[in-house]
Amino acid sequence: MLLLSLCSGGGLVKMQRAQTQTQYDAWPVLQDILTREGVARQHLNSYNEFIQRGLQSIIDEIGSIDIETVGTPYKVKFSKVKLKLPRVVEIDGSVSNILPLEARLRNLTYASPIFVDMTVEEDGIVRESQEQHIGDLPVMVKSDRCMLATMNPQQLVEVGEDPKDPGGYFIINGSERVIVGLEDLSPNKILVDYEKVGGVTNYKAKVYSSIVGYRAKLDITLKQDESIVVKLPSSPVDLPLVVVLRALGLETDKEIAQAVSLRPEIQDKLEVSFEKASEAKTTKDALMYIGNRVAHGMLDEFRLRRAESVLDWGLLPHLGKTKDDRYDKAIFLGEAVNKLIELRLGQIESDDKDHYGNKVIKFAGQMIADLFRTAFRNLARDMKYQLERTGQRRGLNVVGAAIRPGIITDKLNNAIATGNWGRGKVGVTQLLDRTNYLSTLSHLRRIQSPLSRSQPNFEARDLHATHFGRICPSETPEGSNCGLVKNLALSALISVSVPSAQVVAKLYDLGVKPFKEADERMKLDGCRVFVEGRFVGFVKDGDALARSFRKLRREGQIHPHAGVAFFDSPFEGGTKRVYIATNSGRVLRPLIICDSGRPTLAPDIIKRVEAGQLNWRDLVQMGVIELIDANEEENSLIAIDFKHLNEKNTHLEMYPSAILGIAASIIPYPEHNQSPRNTYESAMAKQSLGFPTPTYPFSTYVREHLLVYPQPPMVKTRSTSLLSLDERPTGQNAVVAVLSFEGYNIEDAIIFNKSAIDRGLARSIFYRLYEAEAKQYLGGMKDTFEVPRPEANIRGYRGEKYYRLIESDGVVMHEAQVGGGDVIIGRTSPPRFMEEYKEFEVKGPYRRDTSVGVRASENGVVDAVFLTENDEGGKMYKVRVRDMRVPEIGDKFASRHGQKGVIGLVVNQEDMPYTEDGIVPDVIINPHAFPSRMTAGQFLESLAGKVSAIRGKPVDGTAFTGEGSESLEQSLKEAGYSPTGREVMYDGRTGRKFAADIYIGVVFYQKLHHMVADKIHARARGQVQMLTKQPTEGRARGGGLRFGEMERDCLIAYGASMVLKDRLLDEADKTEVHVCEKCGLIAYYDAKQRKYVCRVDGDNARISTIVIAYAFKLLLQEMMSLNIAPRLTVKDKV
Amino acid sequence: MVSIDVIESSPSRLRVRLGGVDRAYANAIRRIAISEVPTMAIDDVVILENSSVMFDELVSHRLGLIPLKTDLDRYNLPEDCDCKNALGCPKCRVLLVLDAEATDRILTVSSGDLISEDPESKPVSDIIPIVKLAPGQKIKLEAYARLGKGSEHAKWQPTSVSTLIETAKPDEFELCIESVGSLSAPEIFARAIQRIQQSLTEIAAQIKA
Repeated sequence: MLLLSLCSGGGLVKMQRAQTQTQYDAWPVLQDILTREGVARQHLNSYNEFIQRGLQSIIDEIGSIDIETVGTPYKVKFSKVKLKLPRVVEIDGSVSNILPLEARLRNLTYASPIFVDMTVEEDGIVRESQEQHIGDLPVMVKSDRCMLATMNPQQLVEVGEDPKDPGGYFIINGSERVIVGLEDLSPNKILVDYEKVGGVTNYKAKVYSSIVGYRAKLDITLKQDESIVVKLPSSPVDLPLVVVLRALGLETDKEIAQAVSLRPEIQDKLEVSFEKASEAKTTKDALMYIGNRVAHGMLDEFRLRRAESVLDWGLLPHLGKTKDDRYDKAIFLGEAVNKLIELRLGQIESDDKDHYGNKVIKFAGQMIADLFRTAFRNLARDMKYQLERTGQRRGLNVVGAAIRPGIITDKLNNAIATGNWGRGKVGVTQLLDRTNYLSTLSHLRRIQSPLSRSQPNFEARDLHATHFGRICPSETPEGSNCGLVKNLALSALISVSVPSAQVVAKLYDLGVKPFKEADERMKLDGCRVFVEGRFVGFVKDGDALARSFRKLRREGQIHPHAGVAFFDSPFEGGTKRVYIATNSGRVLRPLIICDSGRPTLAPDIIKRVEAGQLNWRDLVQMGVIELIDANEEENSLIAIDFKHLNEKNTHLEMYPSAILGIAASIIPYPEHNQSPRNTYESAMAKQSLGFPTPTYPFSTYVREHLLVYPQPPMVKTRSTSLLSLDERPTGQNAVVAVLSFEGYNIEDAIIFNKSAIDRGLARSIFYRLYEAEAKQYLGGMKDTFEVPRPEANIRGYRGEKYYRLIESDGVVMHEAQVGGGDVIIGRTSPPRFMEEYKEFEVKGPYRRDTSVGVRASENGVVDAVFLTENDEGGKMYKVRVRDMRVPEIGDKFASRHGQKGVIGLVVNQEDMPYTEDGIVPDVIINPHAFPSRMTAGQFLESLAGKVSAIRGKPVDGTAFTGEGSESLEQSLKEAGYSPTGREVMYDGRTGRKFAADIYIGVVFYQKLHHMVADKIHARARGQVQMLTKQPTEGRARGGGLRFGEMERDCLIAYGASMVLKDRLLDEADKTEVHVCEKCGLIAYYDAKQRKYVCRVDGDNARISTIVIAYAFKLLLQEMMSLNIAPRLTVKDKV
Repeated sequence: MVSIDVIESSPSRLRVRLGGVDRAYANAIRRIAISEVPTMAIDDVVILENSSVMFDELVSHRLGLIPLKTDLDRYNLPEDCDCKNALGCPKCRVLLVLDAEATDRILTVSSGDLISEDPESKPVSDIIPIVKLAPGQKIKLEAYARLGKGSEHAKWQPTSVSTLIETAKPDEFELCIESVGSLSAPEIFARAIQRIQQSLTEIAAQIKA
């Protein structure tokens, strides 16, 4: 098993309480950030950016389509794009705006129509112009296009929404889908690395050049023979570097060498490359060289054109796609090679792929842009095809008719509904986790790595120093996805893209000299400056530039999301570089700016934030806090807390426990636990039952759990209130004693007090939704909701008693008690194939029973019946059945410290142990749960819980800053309890005092959604599979319990052959087969002739009947189908 | 010699020092006070109307947990009642009705809104919340209370605290019983002892027979 290595509890304890608890507490600022922005801000920003800019830029990229007709050709121009409000088009064509609630209830897609202004142009003369509907774009809930975004909490309640719902997901066909953040290498950045393959070292530089919705990878390799080659996505072969540079317009060797570097030791390394390119002396030659390789054997002119398009479209498209951009590309390529050679010479270190500065996270906006780009191109191509086919007729009406909006709508809907992004990308979207409120929040902050989970990828799974404050160190799954699936820390913010033009202008003001203007001296040892992957020029002192850039940013002259990092090589001779990042998807974290050992964020400013007079954006504008990305952090010296702040520090941490993610931040005293325990709890918290949404009276989730009496934890962390977990709790506070109880709590079992259960402890409700729609079929036939009648010739009629609960409209009544198999929605459907009955049936057409029954293993009460209509005009019923789940033996529970267990025994109150005060525990756990797991946090929580009960208010157990054990012990002492947390207890059965004092306190327990009622299963006789005649598998199909190989081995070893035969033959797939003794092949019994027939030996056959497994009969027949004659030799039993 | 010293006695709390008794006997009093002394609690609820956000099972569960004042001399346990009627008779059940509707503002329906047919068998407190109704929501139900024992369901437990602790002297214990209000603490104590005696007599009779 792979485990994420973690800053161990011990180390973190050192950055501990005493001093952080002192006066300086910047928590209100962090609280302001998260409450104002919400946990789904990264999704919303990304999506909003797409609809504001991305959409238009993708349409502009195509711009227009040329319609080449026989007569006069014309042009269809696309200009302004507009997104209207989310709507539904009913079957009768009427259009109405919808809200998310309606989409969820009616299984609709929450999507907005996209309109594009289209112009028909003939010979440059504008003929007509009109906006046209090109398709529907799914709308992210609470994005700028969503109707909910501007509503206040009261209005949200009125439209049936949870005011605390974070949004950030889509609703496709009624189900909520999240596009999980996808980790990716930074775009437009030159990353150099070396790899050793069988003793050969290859040095590589990689650039992922990206524009909206498209990316091209550039690969430059410095081979063993010192030659440098370039690999482009549109070229099948590697191209020599010098050829590419020459093709880009650098004719002379001098120009080429200078584009790389002026330093002789670097230019020397180009020698081999120049030799290899000796056949291409001019730009024309070089282009032809490339043309010969990408379009081999074509016309000269065509080869040239292809070569140019390879350079313009396939090479570094982020620098532009026209002829004018080739010079910039050459310079950029030169710099990439420079960096590569510097690595080869050992002047710089290779780039770290796992450094978070080299990564970005792609959210919904970028992902949808990818899709939309291809979909829109398909649409344009389809339009062109249609219009050229229609020929002479023209004008907007024709253009309007040639648009098939389904191309875009279906592509987007399908991709989001299935998570299938094309090109092998699957699982991009997931169904939003609504187990409880916490799991929803955590799901929206999840990040996936594209790396394969079947490969080890050890480094990628490790916790990296740059994850600090960005990625939660605890919250990651165990097993194959360990370290690949991550979660954002509370303090993490995702950058939005900043227009780089003004940033570049500021840089030139600050003394940056463009490549062409820079003098030789600057080119030789100046610092290179990059903005968003664009090489913008040289500057003398990079460090000073970075500092003045930061100053401007703090003054509010530059967008706060722009990052700057100065890179100095640790080795002699390395080029110095300044990178300015303006792209979206970088993980930023807020830090307090410090000036000569004092935080500029003064305590009185924090007070004003707390009072609501200032918000965190004001603080950014004031220049007292700033958002730092992982690269810029490398230039900073950050004090861990106020006490450790000194003159050298540039920044101060905002709040220590904000390095944790959503799930880990609810653990009280996590710094006292062994680190994997926090990881386990982070996974389990998402399975606990609670109060997922206050809309439960009309929610239509397929499965939903609700805890009847949810309680906010008595030992809180600061994030429980921040994340509204006080209003949407996930468990209950239980009085927990740590002692053994007759062995019924060994192996992590827990003992429950029966009276506590009677009073409602851990009671929950399970809702299941059953759904049926009346479809309309071709030929005018329809499904109907009705009570199927036996006399109506219905196929699959189940028997009268199953329909007893449904009424004349075909649906059960509200509050009816239903059990396994009972029909709750009666429905009949027309025959599948019209011809089916004509030949064989005498009775004429029949209908099929397609009623919906309660699952065989479930029962409950009909809680709600929803009747509605989908957008295809079909009537639709949704019936919700509820079942109250009272805790029973086998139900799973867990504390917040990765201590899980199932109920082993439910004990009457009078048998339970009691304290001298008469306190009877709700739960008894076994002391063996602690020594090996070292979850000291649970002991502290127990102690703090007791103190909380005494004080009558919650205790703060926040990581690193929570109330310490000294003060808890003091409180216990004052209340007359032992500071150890132990108490004298008596055995309820005998009234005898226990020899030892018992540790007892209040611990928050979570009921996990693995309940016995959902899993209990047994079978005597039942269904068999059609193919093999063996019992079916699985509880849902009433399956058998597998008598597997190991069980078989036991019986063989024991010699219990009768039992063996009984299990594997008699009670499995016993069959009688007729075998011809002469040929050994299978014969059969002909019922008409009343005799056994062997097709080989005819009348000479001697046939006997044998008993074999049906699976064996199948094997024989399968072999026969392969032209093998398996012959059985039959002998008499002696 | 058996001795009983009353340390504290009030309807809600009784503390006695038991001397000269066997631990098993003393603990039996404690246990029986919890599980075998009958009290009145709502057990059957007929919901006529419920448009609250809390569904029927839950409302019924909450009603059951409301402690009712109990007069053990006036009512029989249903299994001992001579009516032999599944629905019960006035000697073994009490009807309480609840009819509440929120009109213009949120209404908290509490135990005080339950109207009992027997004014002596009513909730011990009038401020126990049952359900909150939003404007327009309504709840109407008939609740049948009966005697029952704590061993069956915790709602029939007459005690909130029932402890037996050791004192400095051997063979001397301190018993503390706190009542939920349905019966007075001294009565629980007395009934518990009665119950033990009854069982012991039965056993003795069976041994003889």
